[in-house]
Amino acid sequence: MSEDAMTKSAELSYAMRTGALGRRLRLGWYYLIANPNLLIGMVLLLVLVAFSLGGQIFWDTRLAYPLSAPVAQPPMPGHPFGTDTAGRDLLAVMILGTVLTMKVGLIAGAIGVAIGTLLAFAAGFYGGWVDRIVRTVVDIVLTVPGLLVLIILASTLQGIISSTSMALVIAALAWREPTRQIRSQVLVMREAEYVKMARMSGSRGWQIILFDMIPNLLPYLGATLVAAVAGAVLASVGLEALGLGPRQEPTLGMTVYWMMTESAFVRGLWWWIIEPLIVLIILFVGMYLVSIGLDEFANPRLRKRT
Amino acid sequence: MSEKLLQLNGLCVRYSTRVMEVDAAKDVTFAVDRCATVGLVGESGSGKTTTALALMGMLREPGRVVSGSAVFDGVDLASLSPEAHAAFRLRRIAYVPQGAMNSLNPVIRVRSSLAHVFKEHGVRLTTRELDQRAAELMDRVGLGTDVLQRFPHELSGGMKQRVCIAIATALGPDLIIADEPTSALDVVTQRQIMETLQRARAELKSSMILIGHDMGLMAQSVESVVVMQAGQVVEQGPVRQIFAAPRAAYTKELIGAVPRLDEDPPARTSSASPAARRVADHPLLEFKGVSKVYQAPYGQGGEVVALKPIDLVLGGKDPQIISIVGQSGSGKTTLASLVLGFSKPSSGDILFDGVSTSRMSEAQLREYRRHVQAVFQDPYSTFNPFYRVDRTLRLPLKNFGIARTQVDAQPLMEEACAKVGLNPGEILDRFAHQLSGGQRQRLMVARALMLRPRLLVADEPVSMVDASLRVSILDAIRSLRDEHGISIIYITHDLVTAHRVSDHVIVLHKGDVVEAGKPAQVLRHPSHPYTKLLVGSVPWPDPDITWGDGADVGELTREIAALPRRPVRTRSEDGEFMVETCA
Repeated sequence: MSEDAMTKSAELSYAMRTGALGRRLRLGWYYLIANPNLLIGMVLLLVLVAFSLGGQIFWDTRLAYPLSAPVAQPPMPGHPFGTDTAGRDLLAVMILGTVLTMKVGLIAGAIGVAIGTLLAFAAGFYGGWVDRIVRTVVDIVLTVPGLLVLIILASTLQGIISSTSMALVIAALAWREPTRQIRSQVLVMREAEYVKMARMSGSRGWQIILFDMIPNLLPYLGATLVAAVAGAVLASVGLEALGLGPRQEPTLGMTVYWMMTESAFVRGLWWWIIEPLIVLIILFVGMYLVSIGLDEFANPRLRKRT
Repeated sequence: MSEKLLQLNGLCVRYSTRVMEVDAAKDVTFAVDRCATVGLVGESGSGKTTTALALMGMLREPGRVVSGSAVFDGVDLASLSPEAHAAFRLRRIAYVPQGAMNSLNPVIRVRSSLAHVFKEHGVRLTTRELDQRAAELMDRVGLGTDVLQRFPHELSGGMKQRVCIAIATALGPDLIIADEPTSALDVVTQRQIMETLQRARAELKSSMILIGHDMGLMAQSVESVVVMQAGQVVEQGPVRQIFAAPRAAYTKELIGAVPRLDEDPPARTSSASPAARRVADHPLLEFKGVSKVYQAPYGQGGEVVALKPIDLVLGGKDPQIISIVGQSGSGKTTLASLVLGFSKPSSGDILFDGVSTSRMSEAQLREYRRHVQAVFQDPYSTFNPFYRVDRTLRLPLKNFGIARTQVDAQPLMEEACAKVGLNPGEILDRFAHQLSGGQRQRLMVARALMLRPRLLVADEPVSMVDASLRVSILDAIRSLRDEHGISIIYITHDLVTAHRVSDHVIVLHKGDVVEAGKPAQVLRHPSHPYTKLLVGSVPWPDPDITWGDGADVGELTREIAALPRRPVRTRSEDGEFMVETCA
């Protein structure tokens, strides 16, 4: 069964890397139909990307800053998403907020996975004392409640924090899970006969890691990256909702914060409440579906049908 | 009551997908008498497992029975509803799938696994009844009742397979279908498992369908044989008739593919060709008191001796093939990984060309890697699935500086492929999964050939290849010695192939050398009881020879374990081979 699934996975990746473009697209499409999680997740994320990119072209995003529109207006011609109490146009806020929030998630998630991959290979592939140190450190820092550290860091930097520096703060903790997860994959793969064969063929350690192991881990690294990005977005929105985010930038989390501090619930400003929520829900559901879709691709044993 | 227990009539199984339809079984017709044993033989992809799954109602989508019938005791299995089929499973027909031993639930004890079987099939038992039934079952498969309290990971492969047989026979089925029940087990365990299966079957007076590709095993285990090829039955008949007068060419091929211990191996084609001879001051490989001990992890105490100290000399003047034979756990793979440098000896020293491997510089180690190559057991996993197979061949050429560019490498690769009988144009730009097992393993031989190492470690190179392809791969390996002057350490549990290819044989038992010498002497006239047991466990492809003279394997194993350690010292006349156990 697993051999069979392995063969199918190899066949698919083979077909995707050879063959004419039309054939590749067709095979990719067949695979996506068989893996609806991945398909729906990608569609949701693409909708958001199209919305924010298209918005920046067709809408004036300078309206996302205070005092650029009449205050607290429900959706109306000229301001189809309505405005908030500080006079921001919420369509412009959503357009910029989506970009900023995705940026924070991508920077933090990518740094986390990059550090995690490095540590995981150092520990899992070379073993010995490096492994012992990395394992112990990861075990210890995993017990530290992330939000606590983030709140301390972010409140120290409050006032001067930007979305980029907040991404770095989040990245400081985002490497923990990827390190542990990737290390376990490296431990398994290190014993694969093709890795031994590469050693027999005179490849050095870093060549084996780079050219023999990482290519086969790509789908798994992809799934880990998506999960890390989702975690980073969640952390950033959490910090921002607490008021510890960049006050000058209209991110999604800051919109939630302003909405709460300005008592949007009591004042019945419904559009201000549901718009950031809908965007966040689409973002999270999309990332979640892509993550489990990639997991299914990376781990053929989970695959039910192809 | 009809005489036949099972009658298949023109059974067709079709797998239909969007792209195409494949008939995995075409017009399969055969019968199984009551209390009979039938062998279903063929290579992988011949439709034998599909036929078994159809009988069990376990065909997976998109496969289905399109025509024909399979009448079992008056009921047509092919037309049963899934629910009605479920009532037959295990109660009337038991199936031991391939690799069954790895399908035991790892988190419950054996006793609970058995309890589930009874419960799932509506047999209500009190705790005491269950204990009694479980004890009977353990007795039937030759295991002690202590096994009931163990978890699967605490059992050896052979013991797990026996537990599976206990589960299969728990409800007293009329028919047992065993799908390659001994693949991946060594000869001694194979013999024990087959004996257990036969005993359980005889006790229940049930019939058995044994699925496999090894004609030797069939000759020893079944009364009649059904030969399948590409989904069709090509020949069937009593086992003696099949072996004495096979009609179909394919059957002849299958029988001919099994080498025999009483056949003289083909002579060396160009023994000691001048080109292969070297002037050597030092032996090629030398073990000086080498042992390997694995320490149990922290705090768990104890240690496992994988290899007891030995001296070994492999001369460098004339290329030779040394076979290392033994069961799993005998230390033969430990020895291989020591030679390949994947692990370091716990004591002693390994010398290559007179230089100690533990004192080699970085540059010397690379040179060592180049000269000591390997062919592994699983020809599928040795290829990186991300790349086409030519990368596996090109990588060492580039790394060892034999051919820096693609242009230099291509002719070398093509030449090597041609030498092992592969068409380079067809093979090199494929991925491993597109090649057959035989092609993959031949490609590994081609890789070794291209590098011209001085020593090749072949670790079970043919155990995962269909029996019909083994001989051709072994011949390719032998030509490495004869035509290219490469010495080979051939590691195997298969004595017959060892006999066919090697110049010298070392028999390992629990990390210790028990016997060594020329294959004709060691394997035809064994002196140590363990070697005798190994030789006796080889299933002869001849129904008239009784398997192991009917001796009880369990008893023999216990006797051998109680034997005192016997020092071994063997030296060939020319001094090119020497092995000695150290105190």
